[in-house]
Amino acid sequence: MAKDRNPQDYTRPIRRIVVGGIVVVLLAVFMLWRIDSPRVERIRIAVVDAVVPNMEWVLVPLTRAAGIIDDFQSYARIYEQNQELRRELQQMRAWREAALQLEQKYAKLLDLNNVRVDPQLTHVTGVVLADSGSPFRHSVLLNVGARDGIRDGWATMDGLGLVGRISGVGQTTSRVVLLTDANSRVPVTVQPSGQRAILSGDNTDLPPLDFIEKSDLVRPGDRVVSSGDGGVFPAGLLVGQVVLGPDRRFRVALSADYLRLEFLRVLRSHEAERIADPGALIMPAEAAVQAEATDG
Amino acid sequence: MAEPMRSAPWGWRTLFVALFGLDLLVRLLPLGGGPGGMPGPDIMLCIACAWVLRRPDYVPAALIALVIFAEDLLLMRPPGLWAALVLVGTEFLRSRAAFSRELSFMAEWLMVSVVILGVALVYGVVLLVTMLPQGGIGTALIQSVATIVAYPLVVAGTRFLFGLRKPATGEVDALGRRV
Repeated sequence: MAKDRNPQDYTRPIRRIVVGGIVVVLLAVFMLWRIDSPRVERIRIAVVDAVVPNMEWVLVPLTRAAGIIDDFQSYARIYEQNQELRRELQQMRAWREAALQLEQKYAKLLDLNNVRVDPQLTHVTGVVLADSGSPFRHSVLLNVGARDGIRDGWATMDGLGLVGRISGVGQTTSRVVLLTDANSRVPVTVQPSGQRAILSGDNTDLPPLDFIEKSDLVRPGDRVVSSGDGGVFPAGLLVGQVVLGPDRRFRVALSADYLRLEFLRVLRSHEAERIADPGALIMPAEAAVQAEATDG
Repeated sequence: MAEPMRSAPWGWRTLFVALFGLDLLVRLLPLGGGPGGMPGPDIMLCIACAWVLRRPDYVPAALIALVIFAEDLLLMRPPGLWAALVLVGTEFLRSRAAFSRELSFMAEWLMVSVVILGVALVYGVVLLVTMLPQGGIGTALIQSVATIVAYPLVVAGTRFLFGLRKPATGEVDALGRRV
């Protein structure tokens, strides 16, 4: 019955070969990516760099419109919000007073101790163009790139806390891998106990702390800051607070507002100066003079 | 009676690419629910399955491969793997397109669900074997289920929005060939 039904029967084997070929090519691309990921990633970055900025004229108004709808919804409970804000403001005033006093005290102490502070980190601010669009990847695309001097590995923050790390720089765009991405590993310090740990993203909004030296010194509520180990991130950037997850693991509630990533600050970190000199022999002054004399 | 669109597969192919652009736009909008949110359905997979079962000539294999590969690149998935699996899945459906004409919608839905779950399963296994980080089995499963649930909606959408349906018995195309 099917014999005389399709007049183009003769193309069928060729078609099968072509489709098989396409599948093989796609799998070959995947294997190539698995073996030599940087090269393929560079192609990917080039594609993203070419496509996404073109979409900006649509993305921006749509995002703005969604923002307006969000704002409009919040009008519904404006009274409660007002009350809440008043209460918060009251608390903030108290905190501000405390902060000012502490700042003065801190400046005085620094002065007394003659401490030399790190030169201020400078930053480039970028606007978030797009997010990764997949539930399995947590990254966003910024509208600053190699043209603005962005380099791979630089830390990215929103106003408050660490957001992620630059990974992939195009001419005019760059990708930020968020701390919650399954590929993200950041060395951190838990304050005040000073325990070192690795913050490893696992695709949830509370990334766990791995490799804590003495976990009984860590308590929920402790502050987590970047430790600067490995020389990738500057030390002392605020990451978040320790919380105890439902699985009894220590996790970190991130300080950065991940639901509202709009403007991100890319910190220009300069490579740390390495001390390669093993240290010379230190002699008393006359001994050195004598040594020179016998030499001469 | 014959609309101009219906006789020109190129119109449909352009529409397919345009739908891809729209889907991409919606996914890339920086409104994302943040980490830990519910993954939505994979609309392109739905559309590809629905169209391949209705009019296989409107979505040639090369077009599907190209579109899904572009999606791989832009959505930061491992490039090529998802595209290859979706292509194999849709080819499986394509070879059964003639057979599925006589099927009820429930049977078709079941068949498509098996394909979607199969593709997701093989994808997860390959990621495991090549030791790539995964987003978690639960999330992948939720996404597959969401895709399956979205399938009737996509079918209804293509039926009522674009007027794409299974060819009736004895229907002929513009050149008078049977489809």
